[in-house]
Amino acid sequence: MIENRKTQLLKKTGLRLLGFLFTMLILSIVVFCFARWAPGDPLQSFYGDAVESMTSEELGAARSRLGLDAPLHVQYAKWVTNALGGNFGLSLKYKKAAMDVVTPLIGNTLILGVTAYLLVFALATLLAVTCALHEDTWLDHIICKIGTGIYYLPPFWLGVVLVLIFSIHLRWFPSSGAYDIGKAGDILNRIRHMILPLIVMIVSHLWYYAYMIRNKLLDELRQDYVFLAKEKGLTKRQIVWRHCLRNVAPTIVSIMAISIPHVLSGTYIAESVFNYPGIGALSIESAKYHDYNLLMILVLIAGALVVLSSIAAQTINEIIDPRMKETGVSAWQR
Amino acid sequence: MGTILEVKNYSLSFDTPEGEIEAVRDVNFSLNEGEILAIVGESGCGKTVLCKSLLKLLPRNARVKSGKAELCGENITAFSERRMRQLRGKQISMVFQDPLTTLNPTIPIGKQITESIRQHQKISHNKAKAHALELLELVGIDHAADRFNLQPHFFSGGMRQRCVLAIALASHPKVLLADEPTTALDVTVQAKMLDLLLSIRKRTGIAILFVSHDLGVVARIADRVAVMYAGKIVEIGTANEIFYDSRHPYTWGLLGAQPALAMKTGELHSIPGMPPVLLNPPPGDTFAVRNKYALAIDYEEAPPMFQISPTHFAATWLLDPRAPHIDPPIFTKRRREE
Ligand SMILES: Nc1ncnc2c1ncn2[C@@H]1O[C@H](COP(=O)(O)OP(=O)(O)O)[C@@H](O)[C@H]1O
Ligand SMILES: [Mg+2]
Repeated sequence: MIENRKTQLLKKTGLRLLGFLFTMLILSIVVFCFARWAPGDPLQSFYGDAVESMTSEELGAARSRLGLDAPLHVQYAKWVTNALGGNFGLSLKYKKAAMDVVTPLIGNTLILGVTAYLLVFALATLLAVTCALHEDTWLDHIICKIGTGIYYLPPFWLGVVLVLIFSIHLRWFPSSGAYDIGKAGDILNRIRHMILPLIVMIVSHLWYYAYMIRNKLLDELRQDYVFLAKEKGLTKRQIVWRHCLRNVAPTIVSIMAISIPHVLSGTYIAESVFNYPGIGALSIESAKYHDYNLLMILVLIAGALVVLSSIAAQTINEIIDPRMKETGVSAWQR
Repeated sequence: MGTILEVKNYSLSFDTPEGEIEAVRDVNFSLNEGEILAIVGESGCGKTVLCKSLLKLLPRNARVKSGKAELCGENITAFSERRMRQLRGKQISMVFQDPLTTLNPTIPIGKQITESIRQHQKISHNKAKAHALELLELVGIDHAADRFNLQPHFFSGGMRQRCVLAIALASHPKVLLADEPTTALDVTVQAKMLDLLLSIRKRTGIAILFVSHDLGVVARIADRVAVMYAGKIVEIGTANEIFYDSRHPYTWGLLGAQPALAMKTGELHSIPGMPPVLLNPPPGDTFAVRNKYALAIDYEEAPPMFQISPTHFAATWLLDPRAPHIDPPIFTKRRREE
């Protein structure tokens, strides 16, 4: 019985991974086509302003050298063959392998993104619990008001204000970069660089999730079992932490998994506001310069994160929540 | 036999946007040590509200308007939330109506019981577990050790209600408020649950306030019975007095509506109409509009409690010396087991 459930779970996860590969394939085709159909000239990013003084023969020669003149499906087939062999082509702007441009920046983005992500959810849960414990009192009202207020601060504007206050005026934190030159391994230095981007990311995501979790907790507090918990002599705190939060946990986990793209896009914004060298800033740049190969690899990384996170959400949910239907049969078919 | 719980002139209202709902109105009763007192009445007459308010489990819009409840001589109506917490589960416990939703669905029942034990006694995990297993056996769950780590959804309704009972009994309270503990169960399971409550009372000497809308159930278990209508106790007496010598027309109505009795007499006399909503109740006796024996005064002034015997009281103007003599319906005189 238990064994059965495990194999079932494995099978489902396997199917989901197949689905993942399929999604990546479709995604790569779509991005490949759209990038090439979009107006603009990739040669511009390769040669810079020199393009304007090139003759049409020279331009044609450059196109065929870079493989830009073949029909779309031929170009795509070539790209896939190379990509499967681990070769994602040349970055037109940086004139080196796209992979080599991306690799050093992934780490920066992950450090920033994961820290922000964990902080957002830890703080959101704390805020939600505080609100639930003080439901409908002045504290709850104030938290809700302030939370909604700061959630609507535009992140770009907030970033600029923070830089003005804390970098230029007070000189507490640097206004850009991920670390000072030569200090890539210095953790404190990295933290100093992350604080302002983190504030922007937390402020622009926190209340959205805190409010969601708060409402889930309030629903849960209205369940009958809360009467029994009270009747045992448990305190409000004990009831919320031990009983309600536990029952809401699967929901929080799936919200967390589904929210990965949301937080990731926040990282992109923070990176471009603070000139933080990460794949977010790079993605925006690569799209701007029609750097096809770089764009492909960055979109595929983001896409993989999104799809894998939703697979993780579903799988985790099924493991945690025993009430989830075990057969996977729709309620309408039973 | 000393009094353990005494409720005096107890009135409670809900403040709602529509106005004040007088859910409990001037209730008086006392519960003696080791006694089972039943509170009976149609649904909506305030039984659950009364029980929850004794434990202070009502929402914030509930307000005790007058009176007090004394547990072992202490006025608990004035207790702070902190003191109430020390009381709940330890001195006074409650079993709720719907066993399917009362337990936390994600926590194994064993843990839900030990949590209750450890809240009031500083003992080790192992000791608490041993005690919890004893409790599960006390409430008649076989193979308790195997079932200890199962979540509630593995249990039937009857078994879940037994688990809830085990939780309620975990810290040896003196009073158990049982709010329709058998209503959600099928008849055979119901009977077993009643026997269980009786045997637990016998073994532990716990006093039980047994709430039900079903006189048939009450007949099997209660020492004394209080009949409640529209937030008021309209008649109270020993089980014998209520079943063989009741005086209030509402009690007659409830007795007449018993299916078991209808099987014998061939007719089911249900009470016409519905209990009133207690938003600005009319003056006089709220039951008058459904009462075929109502007198003119019933519409003007609420009847006081008339004493019939040292243990038997009823609130109906029919007991006033000036009232016309009325013969109660014959079935109320019938013996329970003929
Ligand atoms: N939270 C509440 N707010 C307002 N009125 C309530 C609330 N809870 C219960 N009541 C009122 O109290 C009355 C008694 O309800 P209840 O005690 O549940 O009846 P019983 O348990 O006898 O069936 C009902 O008529 C209901 O309208
Ligand atoms: Mg009820």
